Formats: sequence, C-alpha cells, structure tokens
Amino acid sequence: MKHYLPDPDQIPGEAQPQELPPWGETRVVGRSLSRVDGYELVSGTAVYTLDLTLPDMLHAVIVRCPHAHARVVRVETSRAEAMPGVRAVLTASTPGAEIPWYFGDDGPTSRLFDSHCRYAGEEVAAVAAETVHQAWDAARAIEVEYEVLPFVIDEAEALEADAPAVHEGGNLTEQREFARGDVEAAFAEADVVLGGTFRTPCELHAPLETFVSVARWDGDRLTVWDSTQGVFARQQELARYFRLPLTSVRVICPYVGGGFGAKLSTGKYTVIAALAARMTARPVKLAVTREDSFLSEGNRPANTIRLKAAAMRDGTLTALEGEFLGSVGAYPSGAVSPYLLLALYDCANARAATTEVYTNAGRARAFRAPAFPPCAWALEQTIDALAEEIGMDPVEFRLKNLATVLQLRDDLPYTSIGLRECIIEGAREFGWESARSRPQQDGHLRRGVGMAAGMWAYPGEPRATVFVKLFADGSVNLNMGASDIGTGTKTVMAMVVAEELGVPLEQIQIEHADTGTTQYAPASGGSQTVVVSSPAVRAAAVDVKGQLLEIAAAELERPAEGLVLRDGQVVPIDDEGAAVPLAELRGLRQRQNIVGVGRRHPHPEGKIALPFCAQFADVEVNTLTGEVRVARLLAAHDSGRVMSYLTYENQVFGGMAMGIGFGLTEDRVLDSQTGKMVNHNWHDYKIPTAKDVPLEQTCVPIDPHDTECNTTGAKGLGEPAHIPTAAAIANAVYHATGVRVHDAPITAMQMVRLLAETRGD
Amino acid sequence: MLPQFDYIRPGSLDEAVARGAGDGAVLHSGGTDLLGCLRDGVFTADTVVAIGHLAELRGIEETRDGGLRIGALSTLSEIAAHPLIAERYTVLSLGAGSAASPQLRNQGTIGGNICQRPRCWYFRGDFHCLRKGGSMCYAVAGANQYHCIFGGDRCYIVHPSDTAPALVALGARARIIGPSGTRVVPLESFFVLPAQNVRRETILEPGELVAEVLLPPPGVGLRSTYRKVRARGAWDFALAGAAAALTFSDGRVNGGRLVLSGVAPIPWRAAEAERVLIDNPLDAETIRRAVEACVADARPMPHNGYKVDLVRGVVAETLRSLA
Repeated sequence: MKHYLPDPDQIPGEAQPQELPPWGETRVVGRSLSRVDGYELVSGTAVYTLDLTLPDMLHAVIVRCPHAHARVVRVETSRAEAMPGVRAVLTASTPGAEIPWYFGDDGPTSRLFDSHCRYAGEEVAAVAAETVHQAWDAARAIEVEYEVLPFVIDEAEALEADAPAVHEGGNLTEQREFARGDVEAAFAEADVVLGGTFRTPCELHAPLETFVSVARWDGDRLTVWDSTQGVFARQQELARYFRLPLTSVRVICPYVGGGFGAKLSTGKYTVIAALAARMTARPVKLAVTREDSFLSEGNRPANTIRLKAAAMRDGTLTALEGEFLGSVGAYPSGAVSPYLLLALYDCANARAATTEVYTNAGRARAFRAPAFPPCAWALEQTIDALAEEIGMDPVEFRLKNLATVLQLRDDLPYTSIGLRECIIEGAREFGWESARSRPQQDGHLRRGVGMAAGMWAYPGEPRATVFVKLFADGSVNLNMGASDIGTGTKTVMAMVVAEELGVPLEQIQIEHADTGTTQYAPASGGSQTVVVSSPAVRAAAVDVKGQLLEIAAAELERPAEGLVLRDGQVVPIDDEGAAVPLAELRGLRQRQNIVGVGRRHPHPEGKIALPFCAQFADVEVNTLTGEVRVARLLAAHDSGRVMSYLTYENQVFGGMAMGIGFGLTEDRVLDSQTGKMVNHNWHDYKIPTAKDVPLEQTCVPIDPHDTECNTTGAKGLGEPAHIPTAAAIANAVYHATGVRVHDAPITAMQMVRLLAETRGD
Repeated sequence: MLPQFDYIRPGSLDEAVARGAGDGAVLHSGGTDLLGCLRDGVFTADTVVAIGHLAELRGIEETRDGGLRIGALSTLSEIAAHPLIAERYTVLSLGAGSAASPQLRNQGTIGGNICQRPRCWYFRGDFHCLRKGGSMCYAVAGANQYHCIFGGDRCYIVHPSDTAPALVALGARARIIGPSGTRVVPLESFFVLPAQNVRRETILEPGELVAEVLLPPPGVGLRSTYRKVRARGAWDFALAGAAAALTFSDGRVNGGRLVLSGVAPIPWRAAEAERVLIDNPLDAETIRRAVEACVADARPMPHNGYKVDLVRGVVAETLRSLA
C-alpha cells in the first residue's frame, strides 16, 4: 500500500497489548440491523460537504490546463479580477500560493500551481467569487498563454529513449524485482507451461459526491469540511501545507458520498479553498466538477501483465512469473502490484518484475484494492487455463495449491486462513459441479461458469483511540475518529457498543470524523476501518462497563462478576427479577457520566491477519453480438467475524458491482492526438447500471473464528469484495465460449470480434 | 455552467416559430440534450425559446386514414408505454423504450430525440472539430470505436437516436412548421449526411420545428421489432442496432424496411438487404444473405471494425426474431 497508507511495520508498537477475551456467542454483533443513520441517508437530511453552505461563503473554481503537456508562459487575470462578484484570483505568483506540493513521502515534486503542466486538467489558477456562476465567468476570462510541449500517454512509449520527459530525470519511476526458488529450472521441468499478456483498463473512481471542500479561518485556526476518507490524514497534510500546529487545523466530515480510495490523499482543491478563504477572510467552498474530477482526482492505472505459469500433471503448481507495466500518471503514485502472484498460491518458484512510469495523464490514486484486481485478472485466468491444460477442475486445482503461510514475508503464518472453506463452501452453494457440466441450449446464447480466488494485503494501521460515554439516563455517546465512507462503519461500531453495554442502538449517539472533537483513527481505506477501530470501540465500552458494574455491585451488594448489562439494565445473573435500569443507579446519577477510553492494541507478534475470498460467476454470452450478461454471482469471503450482516452483504454486493464495471464496461480513453480524455463524464465513461448487475447475488460469509487477529475477530472486507470478480467473470466467459479474453473490459465491441475470429469469419 | 441567455416562453406556436427563427435562438422542449450541449459549450445560445407548454404539439391519436399522429412533445416514456404503438408499431415502442434512462425518457420528447445532436466525444468535448466549424475531424486518426462504418465523409458521427430508425423503418413522415409555412417530409429525407452538410444533422431551417410525426397505417402482415446493442444495460446509445418493419404474405416477405442504428450519421437503410428479403421466406438462407448484404458496403475505421461483426449479429438476431 506504498503511496497510499502507512506501513504498519513502521509504526512503533505499544508496550502493553490490550487483551480482551474473544466474544463467545454475541447478542447484537453479527445481526442484520438497519443502519443507525439510515433515516438521514434515505431522507436526504444527511448533510454532505457538497450540501454545506456557510454564512458569507464564497465559491471557488479552478482553471485547468487544457493541454496534456505544456508550460505556462503568462497568466492574465486583470479582466477576471474586475468582474462582478470576484473576490480573489489565485495563480502561481499570488503571495502565499507558492506552496510546494507533495505526492507521497518523498519530498515535494510539484507546486500548488505548477507552471510545468504535466497532464490535461492540471491546476493553473483559481477564482473565488460571491456565486459559483460569477466564479466560472471569471475563470473563463482568465487568459493563459501556454507553450505546448510534446506529450506521451502510452506506458511503453514513455520508456523509449526519445519519449518526452514528464519530469526531469526521465519517465521511469520505479523498477522492482521479486524472486524465490529457481523459476527457470521449474519451467524446464514442468509438464505444462503456459502464459499470455493481459491488459486491464484505466479505471476512474467516480464517487457520487464529487471532490469538495469548504474552508474557514478563525484567526490563525483553519477549519475544513472536506469530503474525505480520513480527517486525521487531511489534518496532518493541511498543517504541513500551511505550517500550522495540528491543533490549529480542524477537519470535519460527517458524511462522504463515496471515495473508493480517491479521497485518501489531499487534493489541491482543498488547499486552494483554504488559501482563498485566508485571502478573502470569508469561508470558501470549492466543489470540483464531475468532469474535472475525472481528469484530476485519481484513477486505477491500466496494467499490462505478461504472465507465465507452470504445473505438473498431478496438479502441482511449480512456477509463476510475471512482468508488470503500468503508469502512475504524471506524478508519483503506485501503478502495479505482483502481490497476488507471489502470495495467493503455494509456489516454490516465483519471480516478478515491475516497471512503473510517468505519463502525461492524471495521477493514479488508491482505488479499492489498488493493483490487485488487475493482477487477479491475469493470475486467475492463467490458473484457470493451467487447470484446463492438465485436465483438472479449476476448483480442485486451486485447492491443491493454496498457500498456508505468507511466502512474501518469509513464510509468516496467518492468524487464520479460510480460503479453502471459501472455495469449498462457495462452490457448494453455487452448485459449481452441476453448473460446470450444464449442457448448452440450442441457439446463440451460451452459458458458462467461472471462479476466481483472492486475498488482501493490508493488515491495518493499528492505532486508534475511542471514547465511550455513558450518560446518567443510560444513553451512550460513541466518540471515534473513523470515517464512515458509506460502508456502515457507524452501524458496526454502535453494535459493538451495544454488545458490551447492553443498550439498544437507538440509545447510542455517534460523534465521528472530526479532528476537533474525536480522537485519532487511521483513514477509512485499505479495508482497515473495522479491523482497527472496532477493537478500540470494544475496549472503550468494556472500560465503561467495568466502571458501571463497580457502581452497580456496590449498590446492589452483589459481586460485579455476577452482574451483566442487558436491555438498558443491570441484571444479576442468578436473580434476573432484581434487575435495575441504568437510570436508577444512584452512583451513575451522582457522577452524571462514565467515560471509557479504548485504544487499539498492536497486531499479533509473528503472525499476520489478512482476509481471503473466492467468487463465482455465471454468465450468458450472446455469440451473435458479443454481449455478456452476468446471470448470477456468489461471493464466499473469509473476512473473519461478520460484525453486521447487512453492511457485510452491502460491501460484498457493492464490490462485485464494481467488479462488473472493471470486467465488462469501464475504460478511460485518452485521445492519442492530443492526450486529452474524451470520456470524462458519466455517459461516456461506462459505469455499470442496475441493469448490468444480476438480481441473483449470494453472500457466503466464512468465519474462521479468528481469536488472534484482534479482539473482535474481524478482518477487512471492502477491498477483497472487489478483487476476484472480473477474473471470475472472464473465466465464466471462457467456459461459455472457449474464448480467453486477455484484455479487460470484455465489451461487446471486443467480444463480437473475438467470437468472429474464433469462428474464422 | 450554462452560458447567459434570454429565456422566452411564447404564447403561441406562431410566436415560437418567429422567435425561434431569430439569430442565436434555440428551442427548448424536454431539454435533455439542449442543456447538456449548452453546459458543455458544444454550442451557445442567446435566446432559449420554450415550446414544452404548447398544446398543439402534444397528443397521440389515430388519424382518419388509420395511421397515428404523434405530437412532437410526446415523451419517449409515453410512446414506449402507449398500447396502440406497442401493438401496431412495435419497433417504435421498443426504440423509445430502449433510449437513455427512465428519467431521461420521462423528460425527453420524440421531437427532440430525432433532432438531437450527435454524441461523438470530440464534438461534445473540448475539440474544435469540423462539425463545430473547425478544420478537422478528430475521429479520423483518433478514438473512433464509436464512430460510423457507413456514410462517413470528412465527419464520422453516428446518429444517436433509437426512435429515428424505427420511424424510418415504418415510413413515418414529419410535419415541419417554420416561418415560411408547413411542410411534410418523409423521415427518410429528414436527416442530412456529412457529405451534404457537415454542420447539421437535419433539414430543419432556422425557426423550423418538428410539430408532429405521422405514421402510416400499419401494413397488412406487419411484423416489426428493434434490437439495440449497447455498452451497458441502460443510459447508453447504440453500438449498433436494427429496426425492422417487414410485411409478410404467404410466408414470404413482401415489403418493409430494415434500418440500422449506431453505425451511420443518419438512420441507415439497409436497402440492399431489403431487396434480398423481399419475395423470399425469412429462412436461414435469406437471413444469411441479408446479413451479408447489410455489411457489403461497410467502411470501418481503425477501431470500429467490430461494428461490421456487430451489424451481422444484430441483424441476424433481429430477422430471426421476426421469422
């Protein structure tokens, strides 16, 4: 997760691991309960950053470079400055705007307004005005003279000696090699060797709420409402850009309308809003347009993956080799990952080489399991092909070769691994064997089934502090730093509190994602939110419970061990009739509240906790038109304990819907003549619709009862739900048609041609 | 952001025509295409003339000759759901129902649908292309996967409408009202190829508007259907589609039309294929020959060769469904 989230191994451990016994049978956790903020979400009363209006607020817009590669020669702003309503015009030469810009931890690589524009859409100037219309009119009146430079948008061309240099020093950003065993010997000795070159598209995040910030200064203190996945990460970066102490920067985000990784890092729009607010002494809102979001606010880069694999006739996987090429775009980021290739299967001989390059295109950002779906696309199709070549069922072949330790980290053991059960239970629930041998109907529609496995690599950043406060009437306040990015984090955490304190969910209020009033939690990304924060929430609730039972024990003259909390009451286990409502405890009324503090314990020593999955797809291919219809999907996930069944299922279905987009419809298109994106809108960039997602989706949770990963037993779910979907669909398409599709997405455009070629048309 | 313009709500159709003929005037009915074009700067407007409230342009009713009059302001949803259209002019019902998304179909009108501007991403995007008065068509050497394989000449748009191919297939006519009076034009003659005029897609002169669409009585033994292939299940234009309205007698095709969508700058009549079909039973051999006749004149571009295969497939499937 380099470039996107902190490396957990670099975080100093705490002296005292906090240990709570694992839950036995739970009363609340795991149930199907409605979201605690369901009413706000569906009634439209939830205030997202995009909805926010502050008194005296100005609106800012950004002037962007229309060229893929250019130097700004001159910016003429006088006409714009004189226009009605205009309160500030910002350019590279505006005092205070000369801010060095960081993309990652390796020092500044650009400026807030960089005169060297490296992609079409780069920020050149900004305007703040009384209305957003006035701001746009003024932005159009800014004249920018550019020296247009040669550009490169193709990853392979970027490596050629005479390619235009995106940055001084050339376009190669990173080359890495990983190897174990003797790959050459294994290939030489193998019964079967095969491979191919796979390509996956550049994918755009397209969250429903665009990228938006509202900034306000009170003296030297900056408050930013930001549509972000992590307020504390944003606070740190804003403090750096404005050279402020952390305490002077408050970042707030009650609701996020989707981020998918794109809202982890700070966008220039946020800093521009804050700068404009300081210049004008007015609150400033900057909402990036939908179209500009596509250009500038991140993507999952296209990957080209050349894969080679070998097996013995008995089904032993003996060698894996991959070459990965991808572009980070115009600025430092990540593009490719061989992780799955090196970790998912037990394979003694493996080698991977990665090459990442700069191109004149928007910068990549984290995107739901960043480079894992591309790797799964290539790997899982290759595994499928190997199984066929040796005449083995793909399920059986995978089961025969599952890794049991993390080979990438010196065979580090897992706290639990439910991958075998995911495959076995998934196949059983899916009806794999009968579907696999289902006869084809007459006509031009062909059915097929396929599957793919996956795992996720980020164990989480193990630090978070949570407060739980019990009021005198028995109601509860949960105060946590974590963001709920639409996944149901608040609901999950409230259920943890309810589990420990025996109060109904309606009695729990939540404050979250506000650096001014809540405590540190890592950003909601990398599938870490529940993993990191739920143990801290549990610890805080247990802290409250301990204090409360102490009070109750004294009042009821019974030992604390003989008391439980249930339905808002203290209940003696051996005399339930003597139960006392919390509000009637004198000691509680005397104190008025009980505050519990919970901290996330460190990860277990010498082991790693990661989630695993297997997904199954049933497709119908129209052999006349190349259309692929996904008829049914099934996901079997080992993400540890199911904390909240409905949000779990939501995550799985959402991840698979996104996988349908990756596998069948989505593809950023850059014009080769100009380097400009031609499909930066929701019509031309094809996100799947409700009609592209099957009605029949099944979620099969596999709980390995992991008591070592953390004190709630949950592993991450957000990213794994998305990793194998497209590959499973591709394998099903192959099963239906005999056509192995190497390039995602499997559009009708591509498929109709491949089918025609196969027929010899 | 929309440009600044005057908004006029005329009191009568005559006034609408007069105001619509003014310099820099555009008509606004459903607005689903207009507002997008204005917002994206595809063209600009000094005056937006509303016509969505004009009762004369509404209504769907049978005509005395047994045909159907469809007021230009009829929404695609109304047309798709109209029982008479579904029964007698199935191809139009299916065409209207397959356009865009439910929200857009509720708002978009049949008049607007046949007059909409092309969806070419260079035309819609920040490219000063030939159709916008520039000097080049960017699709020629660019990303032309969605462009035409028939009828291209300097400009390679495809016509975006799903109702227009159905209307051409049914032999519909448009009643056009303009400053110099009324004219009734077969839909087939309504659309303009780039070779005729690279700046516009219809024969409408300034101030002219489509008042209604007139369908002839359904022919005896008419079977019609529309099949559209798109990149996703909804809210998308055709990669390729086929609108067929064929009449049958004694087991043979004795008339009708086959019109392709998504492959040419206008709804594209597959005239050669129609000749193959007429007087023949709609059997496998006829369909095979008709399919080949459909693509005989195709001139694919570097990235849209698949459309030749797709036309084959979609025509075969369409004809089979009528057999």
